[in-house]
Amino acid sequence: MPEVVHRRALIAGAAAAVALPSLSRAQAWPSGAVRLVVPFAPGGSTDLAARLVADGLAQRLGVPVVVENRPGAGATTGSQMVADAAPDGQTLVMSNIASHAISPALYGNRVRYDAVRSFTHIAMVITNPSVWVVNPRSEIANLADLVRIAKTRRGGLDMASSGAGSSNHLLLVRFSDLAGIEHTHVPFRGAGPAMTAVIAAQVPMMSDSLPSAAGHIRQGSVRAIAMSSAERHPAFPDVPTFREQGFDLVSTSWFALSGPAGMPAPIVERLHRETMAVIATPEARQRFAEMGGSPGDMTSAQFSAFVASEVERWAPVVRASGATAD
Amino acid sequence: MDLFANLYLGFSVALSFENLSFALLGAFIGTAIGVLPGIGPVATISLLLPITFGMSATTAIIMLAGIYYGAQYGGSTTSILLNLPGEVSSVVTTLEGYKMARKGRAGAALTIAAVGSFFAGTISTLLVAASGPLLTSVALSFGPADYFSLMLLGLIISAVLAQGSIVKAIAMVVLGVALGLVGTDVQTGQQRFTFGVPELSDGIGFVAVAMGMFGIAEIILNLERPESRSVLTNKVDSLWLTREEFKRSIAPVLRGTAIGSTLGILPGGGASLAAFGSYMMESKVSKFRHEFGTGAIEGVAGPEAANNAAAQTSFIPLLTLGIPANAVMALMVGALIIQGIQPGPRMVEAQPDLFWGLIASMWVGNLMLLVINLPMIGMWVKLLEVPYRHLYPAILIFCAIGVYSLNNNVFDVYLTMLFGLFGYLCSKLKLEGAPMLIGFVLGPMMEEHLRRAMLLSRGDPMVFIQRPISATLLAIGAIALITMLLPALRKKKEAALAEG
Repeated sequence: MPEVVHRRALIAGAAAAVALPSLSRAQAWPSGAVRLVVPFAPGGSTDLAARLVADGLAQRLGVPVVVENRPGAGATTGSQMVADAAPDGQTLVMSNIASHAISPALYGNRVRYDAVRSFTHIAMVITNPSVWVVNPRSEIANLADLVRIAKTRRGGLDMASSGAGSSNHLLLVRFSDLAGIEHTHVPFRGAGPAMTAVIAAQVPMMSDSLPSAAGHIRQGSVRAIAMSSAERHPAFPDVPTFREQGFDLVSTSWFALSGPAGMPAPIVERLHRETMAVIATPEARQRFAEMGGSPGDMTSAQFSAFVASEVERWAPVVRASGATAD
Repeated sequence: MDLFANLYLGFSVALSFENLSFALLGAFIGTAIGVLPGIGPVATISLLLPITFGMSATTAIIMLAGIYYGAQYGGSTTSILLNLPGEVSSVVTTLEGYKMARKGRAGAALTIAAVGSFFAGTISTLLVAASGPLLTSVALSFGPADYFSLMLLGLIISAVLAQGSIVKAIAMVVLGVALGLVGTDVQTGQQRFTFGVPELSDGIGFVAVAMGMFGIAEIILNLERPESRSVLTNKVDSLWLTREEFKRSIAPVLRGTAIGSTLGILPGGGASLAAFGSYMMESKVSKFRHEFGTGAIEGVAGPEAANNAAAQTSFIPLLTLGIPANAVMALMVGALIIQGIQPGPRMVEAQPDLFWGLIASMWVGNLMLLVINLPMIGMWVKLLEVPYRHLYPAILIFCAIGVYSLNNNVFDVYLTMLFGLFGYLCSKLKLEGAPMLIGFVLGPMMEEHLRRAMLLSRGDPMVFIQRPISATLLAIGAIALITMLLPALRKKKEAALAEG
């Protein structure tokens, strides 16, 4: 008998834990400034996305949302810090394809967190495809040209990216594999210098994230030959996808909002709702569109499953690329 | 003429009440953070970025640019007064500027830094306006092989022109290069020399090295010699330049402006070379080169002009290509992209008011800095009269805050202290810090360009002499080495003859 009582008390307690604190905690949260950790240096696309979200969330939550840049070790330093933080909704991270899909494979056992289980994944903020660009005077007009020319040179085509182990580098690896060509990867310190090299025709092509390449494509300083989205991108309807050109490749990089594992459901719900509201405003939509990104439209559960699928997708590619920080 | 019509448009934008106030605000904030050691423009601009969301793009960028120049100038102030460089470009200012301050000429050093910067800023602003788009093509013609040769030339010259023992100078350059290689290899993503310390995976921070080697080491040295503390409590004489100092500064400022304007255009690294380049040139061509190392005004005037000129012309790759030359410029790109503007070749046509407004505001901002700073020089110099027991703890605290704010990481603070001790050791051993810092800055860039050039040529080293720019730079480097070695050889020969 006592056991039954005990169980009932437990159930009641559990129900109360869900129902009552959800009211009181929801009111207590946020208590003071919310920290939004960006695991990259200021000025990059993760940082920009974070600042847009932080600005909107601050207005909606009525507390300051402070962006804190904690760069280092392929975005794992800042992510680790958030994984270790208290799951009280006061510390969040701008999770992304590097910190939560590629770097765990790249850095191996030096990353202590599990990209899925050490976090509460709250909301997808923005996704964007990669785009392959060439110098406007290049003879490469499409992927078939690229493959043909790559076969004529020792070491294949020079292919630039924003860095070894970046999602764009891995896309080059996946493509070369699929097309059966060789390539010489020319990594740069960030997308900017790589873009300069393409504009100056020092390297024939680069794989870049759409937000950093969009302006250059619009201005005609480079020409886009392939987009890594599943469908043609609405902002660049003239640029064919990889699939259309006969290469079954889809690659999307993403920026999202996550917190430490075990965050209370009401806080997660509220944050998800407010983030969705922030990215739904016309200004945010317009900014995203200009940057070539699409606002996220996943539930927290879908997003969490998505992170798991990303981890699985990238680990073998990282191994194949030969890039390692281990 | 088009140029004047464009400049007129620019000034009509820059001189609007709103833009003028924000330029002033930016210059003021910039000076303040520049004076606080270590708290740099990157941290400040990233903090202020959200504020700019609500402004017009032009106003936002004008304010951010103001912070950037202001910080450059403020950084010179601490370099001269406290031997505390916050940025690559102000390392050079410590060399002669701090010595001048110790001779009681802090006011003159600060004045020439302000006036020289303003003059250089004026010229380079005109240059940006007149030939920005044209200069872009020059910058674009620099390939990896050319960059490598340029940086190699920089290293050769820094070793050739160092004071004292050439062997020690070379050793310090090499040590600097080695320190610069710590971190993630760009080519393969491998970790090098990190000993499993995750904080080292992105390399050693410049500020930690510079502040430790110069600022903290200086504090330790001063604590060691109680008698030398009296030096700075000498009556600080006139803030104004003497007629002779003024005359001596004219040529260095002109040369510095030329060097800075040229090197600033190169995307990546150009601006940091400018101040070093000018200092080296002055220490070689100046009539007063024997005074170098003891507080020669040429060593402040030239580099200050050069770094300001380079700060202006580094906007050229940003505005015409959309390529940021450094972290501050990357933030500017971010600010523009958030406003829906992509900096690049079309910006001049698509956003003429932004482009020309920014250019005009560069000049307005420089003028404001002169106006803000000249009257304040007296106040800064007064800082030197603060007793050391109050001043030093304060400096140490600000250094610690500044270093911490870069990456929000305590490790960097420890690193700074470590380099402080190392710097103290070096000065005991008569090893110069400057060549090490040059190696530290240039080494990793040089390696990156070397390997990229070799990668693109599939391992053929001939690429370095086949490209005319690279070949020319290498030839100049060879000549510099030979002219340096010849007198030494001749001396040896003479000594040998005398013996025989």
